[in-house]
Amino acid sequence: MADIPFLDRAPGDVLARRGTVPVTAGRYLADVAALAAQLPEAPYALNLCADRYLALVGFGAALARGQVTLLSADRSAHRQRELAGRYAGTYAIADGVETVIPAIAAGAWGEGPMTNAGANFGIPAERVAAIGFTSGSTGEPAAHAKPWAALVAAARAAAARFGLDDPAAQATVIGTVPAQHMYGFETTMVLPLRAPMAIHSGPHFYPVEVVEALAAAPGRRVLVTTPLQMRALVAGGISGVDTVISATAPLAVSLAAEAEAAWGAPVLEIYGATEMGSIASRRTVEGEGWTLYDGVALRAEGADAAAALVPGLPEPVPLADLVEIGPDGRFRLIGRRGDMVKRGGKRASLAGLNRVLAEIEGVEDGVFFAPEDLEANPAARLAAYVVAPGRTSGEIVAALRERVEAVFLPRPVVLVERLPRNELGKITRRSLEALRDGVPGEGAG
Amino acid sequence: METSGVTATTAMTALEVEVATLIVGALQLEVQPQEIDPEAPLFGEGLGLDSIDALEMALAISRNYGFQLRSDDERNGRIFASLRALTAHIEKNRVG
Repeated sequence: MADIPFLDRAPGDVLARRGTVPVTAGRYLADVAALAAQLPEAPYALNLCADRYLALVGFGAALARGQVTLLSADRSAHRQRELAGRYAGTYAIADGVETVIPAIAAGAWGEGPMTNAGANFGIPAERVAAIGFTSGSTGEPAAHAKPWAALVAAARAAAARFGLDDPAAQATVIGTVPAQHMYGFETTMVLPLRAPMAIHSGPHFYPVEVVEALAAAPGRRVLVTTPLQMRALVAGGISGVDTVISATAPLAVSLAAEAEAAWGAPVLEIYGATEMGSIASRRTVEGEGWTLYDGVALRAEGADAAAALVPGLPEPVPLADLVEIGPDGRFRLIGRRGDMVKRGGKRASLAGLNRVLAEIEGVEDGVFFAPEDLEANPAARLAAYVVAPGRTSGEIVAALRERVEAVFLPRPVVLVERLPRNELGKITRRSLEALRDGVPGEGAG
Repeated sequence: METSGVTATTAMTALEVEVATLIVGALQLEVQPQEIDPEAPLFGEGLGLDSIDALEMALAISRNYGFQLRSDDERNGRIFASLRALTAHIEKNRVG
């Protein structure tokens, strides 16, 4: 199979911004070449850089040496040892974190005068460029290999979808998602290699850091974030955003509308998963229909299930969600595969119930919880954990009663100050079990 | 009690009590402010806070003390090392 060039940018193009300092594509190639010459002979490079530009240099240098980049947003010693044990011959490329496996410390890349030149290079289309890991709302973490052609095809499709392919209107992408999470990796590590845009190197964790990155960016500013961070940024009163892109957890229509009103910018949502990458998008306030990326197709598998045919991936990827595919090829999510619950002979999807809960007036966040013995034990019921300041559990149940079958009404409804969402906004079953076991129930606390 | 059993061995200053109260309120922790060991780590093993808590605390601190937390502070200054360290950081940076 043919090679695909590593970089598709003009040498003078700005590829990254470190604070207010622009870094050109030519400078990036020079940094990549300099690091590539230093890297050990090894099959796997664990990229632990928090600084997005340093992460990008590490990724490029590993590619130049034919090494596979392991993507882990978890930088803990435990995780480093686990991955090094699983992938023999792994070393780390790291900044600002203690390493417990052989490691190359990130240097002052992108700073000071250029001391060497770098050349572009080709990469075999089918070669695995990176391996991502599922964070696991369910089950054990699994590895997902990304051939170079798949990453390139997804980047091109995203650039076209989000209008990031116009060389005359170069955008700056400010990402609050780790570069090593598949969504952050696609949007802030692969996209700048193919599309005429720059990434801001960060950090962008606290609202003030996002504010400063926005102020430092000339031209169109694209905020790549999650529902959780979007909530904090809306509360923090940022401004100067031209486009918002959200992923990792379902975005409530109410939050999307609030952000659009506050920032005067469209809020777009990406649908994807680590195993298949991003495959579709929508503007949340415009409705439930998702539009597939160019080149991606869905294949129905039975009644509600589907698999995605993704350019560059060798096999169709089953969707974790149940979908309804419309005649125009757009699709609607109708629940998560495997999250169907049965009670009293009726079936419901927990994701569907969660959506109903989220739309109740005054509900900021909420989740249904199904006990293990729901089907076996007639006395068992669903529970719900709800963040709804000023509302009572009785009012929540009354509102649910209008839209939910009686057998699925939750008991108890536990009002909490917040849900145990992890840093990507997901709620694991284990954390809900902890909540259940730690909360004595209605009226007791 | 299943908590670590650590008790405050050093008395808290008035501002430490105030900051502890702010943290417990903002994060809805299941402890009393006075029970927090001012020298114990806030994240990981100590109080067991996580990065989302950091975001919540940043909002609470900017509202109450008029300045913004930054990742650099966290990395270099180790401000979340303990209630005492965080309080010292607030005392130094508070506005008004």
